[in-house]
Amino acid sequence: MVEKILLAVLVPLFAFLVGIFLEGFKRKMVARIQRRYGPPLIQPLLDIIKLLSKKDNISHGLMFDLGPVIALSGSILTVFFIPTPGFKLLSASGDLVALLYIMVIGSLGMALGAGESGNPNASIGIARALTLMLGYDLPFVIALSTVILKFDTTNLYEIVAAQSDLYWGAFLMPITAVVAFIATYGAMGEHPFEVVVAPQEVATGPMVEYGGKHLGFLMIDHAFHIYIELALFTDLFLGGASNLGYFFLKIFGLHILLTFFDTVYPRFRIENAVRFFWRWPTVFALIGLLIVMIGG
Amino acid sequence: MNLSILTLLLTPFVGGILAYLGGLIHRSVRFAFAFLFSLLTIVLVAGYYGSKIDSLIYGRLFGSLLVLQMNSLSWLLAIVISTIFLMSTLFSIPEMEETPHVNAYYFELFFLEGTMLGVVLAGDLLTFFVFWEMMSWVSYFLVIKGTKESSQAGYKYIIMSLVGADAALIGLTLVYLKTQSFVFVNISSMLSSQSPAFIISVFALFAINFLIKAAIMPLHTWLPDAYSEAPSPVSSILSGVLEKIGVYGLFFFVFVIFGMNLFKGIIPNVFGDSLIFVVLQWMAGLSILFGTFLAILQEDAKRILAYSTIAQVGYIVLGLSLNSTLGVAGGLLQLVNHAIFKSLLFFVVGGIIYRTGTKNLSELGGLIKKMPVSFISMLLGIIALAGIPPLNGFAPKWMIYQALIQKKSVLLLTIALIGGTGSFLYVYRLIHSIFLGTLPEKYDNVKEVPLLMQIPMIFLALLTIIFGLFPGIPLTAIAKVQEFIGMTPIRFTLTGFPQGSALSTLNIVKISGTLVGAFAFAFLLFVSLPKTRRVSQYDNYAAGQVVTKYTKYNYSFGFYSFFRDIMNPIFKLSADEIYTEFTKFMRVLGDHIRRVYTGGLETYVSYIVVIMAVIFAFVVLGGRIW
Repeated sequence: MVEKILLAVLVPLFAFLVGIFLEGFKRKMVARIQRRYGPPLIQPLLDIIKLLSKKDNISHGLMFDLGPVIALSGSILTVFFIPTPGFKLLSASGDLVALLYIMVIGSLGMALGAGESGNPNASIGIARALTLMLGYDLPFVIALSTVILKFDTTNLYEIVAAQSDLYWGAFLMPITAVVAFIATYGAMGEHPFEVVVAPQEVATGPMVEYGGKHLGFLMIDHAFHIYIELALFTDLFLGGASNLGYFFLKIFGLHILLTFFDTVYPRFRIENAVRFFWRWPTVFALIGLLIVMIGG
Repeated sequence: MNLSILTLLLTPFVGGILAYLGGLIHRSVRFAFAFLFSLLTIVLVAGYYGSKIDSLIYGRLFGSLLVLQMNSLSWLLAIVISTIFLMSTLFSIPEMEETPHVNAYYFELFFLEGTMLGVVLAGDLLTFFVFWEMMSWVSYFLVIKGTKESSQAGYKYIIMSLVGADAALIGLTLVYLKTQSFVFVNISSMLSSQSPAFIISVFALFAINFLIKAAIMPLHTWLPDAYSEAPSPVSSILSGVLEKIGVYGLFFFVFVIFGMNLFKGIIPNVFGDSLIFVVLQWMAGLSILFGTFLAILQEDAKRILAYSTIAQVGYIVLGLSLNSTLGVAGGLLQLVNHAIFKSLLFFVVGGIIYRTGTKNLSELGGLIKKMPVSFISMLLGIIALAGIPPLNGFAPKWMIYQALIQKKSVLLLTIALIGGTGSFLYVYRLIHSIFLGTLPEKYDNVKEVPLLMQIPMIFLALLTIIFGLFPGIPLTAIAKVQEFIGMTPIRFTLTGFPQGSALSTLNIVKISGTLVGAFAFAFLLFVSLPKTRRVSQYDNYAAGQVVTKYTKYNYSFGFYSFFRDIMNPIFKLSADEIYTEFTKFMRVLGDHIRRVYTGGLETYVSYIVVIMAVIFAFVVLGGRIW
């Protein structure tokens, strides 16, 4: 029992630390690509501490306050369901299909909170976020169906177990893995899919009215979000990992790859982003699906 | 002779007559009768819980017996119908008070309940058809009691219903001519000796009728208009239960009357499934996809819900037509749960219309501060509709997805999941444009809806939580239905699904428990940090502009306009327009026919004379004209 409680604290902590480290690392890396020195590695953590200790926090209403809280609790819940080496507390309570819906709880909270601010930039940001979600979900769902078909299970732990000894999803289904990577990339809202935050257009979108501890919560949530997306991809296509060190290295590698793309691209318009996802990634996802259906 | 089933069926009719007569005395008498009799109907239905088949022969016509019967499938439908009607009756009391024909309204409302119960309790085709026709007409009279546009919408509705009813009438006549009986049991045993062509044409005739009522694409065009223009309590009945009657009819015929064994011999298998099921699955998939996409683009609260009904009923039909234990159970669970959350949403929107007088989303906003009970009800309703755990929309969707994975129908799985994602878009639009955003100053004095409107909302909202956390409660009744139709019943626990019932296990209470724990942690962290200060809704970042109530700054109209740009090429194809073109063609055709049927008596007399002359010549010549 004590061990379980300890794990229930340590796993979100691990997720948070990985996420916050990757955020700091990304800022440093982007700076170096742009030939700047960049902020220190722990700058995101310092930002969060600063925001959480602000004395003056404005609020537009109860839902506005609860939004970041629900977002964070949704993310913590999701972390429990993503297979992490050495942690199997809730494996019997849900599967990949349930996870898709569990991942939405946090976003719903955030969307409701941002909506109550009454700022049109926030509403436009949410409208864009949801439309973009419809965009990247199409190839992503096809890719997930391919994975389910390939391993013939929806249990995440069984999917990870089936990929032992380098029988990784990415090697068995390379096309699907690339498509899923693009969809994950879109889900993380990096350039060129950075339409939701888009500071020059909608003034950081959903976050526009948030400051102080609310923003601090959203930044913690963002750190979790980075971990969730990358860890899910790692579990589905990179065979999970046998210990936390390997797991971290795989996520880290993915994040470096992602930052390369993020640094060089400009921004799509939302229509073009959705059209992009519905065109080539979907076609290739279907090809990948066909290969698995025929080849087994 | 056991008359209890007849008592049950007559209760709503008596209630309707008494409510009408009571209303002539005083409105409180009408309310008392309305409330008592809808409650009595629930009690009588509930009394049948768990009992086996009960039937009653109540008459004889054209040499055939007329039968009423109660089985576990009709019980499931009957309990949903009577519950939604009780809620709707309560909601109607404030809503319909000021309307001119309020007594007739209650009369029709109860007759609608009675005819619906009649349809699900019918044990023979004739009873079924008569109640079905009455149901269509009574619901038409209720629809046209709504907004100004409702007479046009009701016209479309009744025309489509009549097309379906005519098809069903031909089917009924064909069956009677072959079998000389109306009773379901006799028909199903006699059908097996008929030719495949006969079976298929009879089935197709009935299926058209049911698919129109269930509004499965492309037979859905009456639905958005009728649902959005009808009075709100009627909308929630139409969406919550009337549409399910169509689904009930379809699957009662497929599984019970025709039976799977009958189809097996005559219908070819495609992709390992009977062709009928494949067609139904793809029609359902089409409904899910386009119902969702069209709902996203609506600017009217009730139209969003109407299109979403098409999509959500698509899930029911998809689940049922998978013809597997998990799929049928998922479809039936979606049937029960959709009735709960969609009626809830129609009640909330009805309350908004009652207080603000508009259902146009761009005129609303910021009502969360004025109507907190409505807000929480709608929040629970949309979470359930979107299928997010732990509310009651999650378990059925999860089961349907699992059933699709079991069948390896990956394309339908993709469509179903995309429909799920799409539903986030329109439910957020709904709650955002009504309750979030800035409050227009004309609604500064708006109050929460009256208590009688809150009771149905609160009750149904609680049901979404209870059935969400414990899907085992409705599944107990659903497992009985599966036994009744001769299928392996689903294995389940109170809180989810054990090993071996699906591809994976599920425990909703554990998920919710973890969520509550995580929420408690985040909430405690939040309140332990420095306090917040409330600011006015105009205290917004506007890039240097000052926001006041005169220069408002709101985003509500054309919420997903960019989505319209993306979808434009597809939306040019509209089933409604095809029907409109057909109507135009019929009008031209009718114009030509009118030259023959002039309406003048002398023309008709001359026709008669000519025809008589021809017949006379025919007879005189002994049948030989040449």
